Amino acid sequence: MTDTRCTPAELQAFVLSRELKDGEMGAAGASAAIPMAAIMLARHMHAPDIQIAGEMFVNPRPRQLWDSMLDDRALGACEAAETFLELFGHSHRGLDFFFHNGMQIDRFGNINLHFIGGSIDRPRMRGPGAANISYAGTSRRFYICTHAHSPRTFVPRVDFITSPGYLDGPESFHAAGLKGGPALCVTPLAVMDFDPDSLTMRLKSVHPWSSVEEVVAKTGFELGLPDRVPVTDLPDAGTLDLLRGKVDTAGLLRR
Amino acid sequence: MSSGRKEKLVAPGMLRDLITAWLGDGDLLALGGLFKQGRPCALVREVIRGGRRDLKLVSSPGSGFDVDVMIAAGCVAETFLPAVTLETRMCPAFRGAVEAGTVRAHCVDALSVVGGLMAAAHGVPFQPVVAWKGSDVPRNNPLAAEITCPFTGEALFATRAIRPKLALLHAQEGDRYGNIRHLSTMTYADQMMARASERVIVSVDRLVSTEDIVARPRETTIPCTYVDAVVEIPHGAHPTGSFPLYSIDEAHIEGYADVAEAARRAGRDGGGDAGDGLADYLTRVVRAPATQADYLEAIGGKARLTALEQEAASL
Repeated sequence: MTDTRCTPAELQAFVLSRELKDGEMGAAGASAAIPMAAIMLARHMHAPDIQIAGEMFVNPRPRQLWDSMLDDRALGACEAAETFLELFGHSHRGLDFFFHNGMQIDRFGNINLHFIGGSIDRPRMRGPGAANISYAGTSRRFYICTHAHSPRTFVPRVDFITSPGYLDGPESFHAAGLKGGPALCVTPLAVMDFDPDSLTMRLKSVHPWSSVEEVVAKTGFELGLPDRVPVTDLPDAGTLDLLRGKVDTAGLLRR
Repeated sequence: MSSGRKEKLVAPGMLRDLITAWLGDGDLLALGGLFKQGRPCALVREVIRGGRRDLKLVSSPGSGFDVDVMIAAGCVAETFLPAVTLETRMCPAFRGAVEAGTVRAHCVDALSVVGGLMAAAHGVPFQPVVAWKGSDVPRNNPLAAEITCPFTGEALFATRAIRPKLALLHAQEGDRYGNIRHLSTMTYADQMMARASERVIVSVDRLVSTEDIVARPRETTIPCTYVDAVVEIPHGAHPTGSFPLYSIDEAHIEGYADVAEAARRAGRDGGGDAGDGLADYLTRVVRAPATQADYLEAIGGKARLTALEQEAASL
């Protein structure tokens, strides 16, 4: 019998996998075990023709998940290896989907990976920065996937926009010439989407181990709340078997 | 081939003089590889041992371990690095130095570094960028400027050519004339950096014959014409990976990060001997080993290396 109790990371991968459509092309980004698991699970489930491309490699076949999915442990076997020369064209053309994480995320889905407090030249806390900031604005959509859900991460306004979400709302988003924007934000506690009129974040579902109260308390801005907030669908036994047997064979998402 | 052809193969013992001749204090240095793969770690240790200071660093869009060690060793004044991280955790020395104001981390992204290297490689002064919209990065990026398209009048950006004084790269194979062959699947920005930089030194895990290079010319990733010196350094990328020969020494990198993080906290809190672990690491692992063989002994010797080779072979 499969143990159908899944971890937050497994549930995040499952939620994201259901968003990806057959025939689409996208990439997982950096520090991307959960996004890569989502893409690979989608391929095993409903989207065998997903193309993983846009980050110098085409359709890798990792035998397990790694904390980093950008070296030959994960990419050694793939259909084609490009170089950074190709990143320029990919970044301008955009992808169907991409993933971002953030040190700070605000209610419009703007992402900060650069600094918190102080200034860019003399930050109180300096983050890692980011490699690709263009896919957020050139791709059809992107997903925000975080390892934490706290008021420190979910802030009213980011100190710095590394990758743009909806900026200050519809007017500024369209004026900036951005395309797509964040579609979902998936955390260890809940799934959020964006109100189509205000482009602000709202609660979509709560994971079974959390509650609306907890999510609201751990979000540092006023989260949109529908009248009824469903519990996030859990993967069934067959799906978990695929995730654990074919994708996350080393159990990285179960740590 | 005429026997008069000039060889670019240098002995490891000549590296320090060569690096010192080609890279001055304050110069821009390019480092190959990405995050934990294909980083020129043995060459970086030579830069540190040579005592170069106030360096400016550029790399492919992702870097971490070797950059952090150079900062910890006091060699760096400015970085032009998009993402600086060990991926499972932050880079302690980078973070500490930027927060203390001793290193200036310029606000750049992948397109400014890739575009800048592309422009230099192509011999043009800048690369146009359209895909910078909505982010605060281009506004704070010293390499970026707003321009108008001369054909359509569209407002867009230019990113300035990046011309490193010296590039340090690591690959698996090369011949004595400087023809380089990566066996790894990913080569990242190595080819571009070789074309963009004034001088290029490549360490290779093993030397191969020129006949072997000529037999498979499409597999030459960097032709000798872009290379100024090649040096054979087995396990020269350690603790980063050099696939398919040896994998990433995650335990070594974690061990470094632990002592560097303790030093960062001690520096911030102004306290105690918590920075001793880092000082010991820099002495014992970085500065003291006189040869690569001594270094490999210091990091765990044959047992450790065999395990890394086996992991790479099992992938």
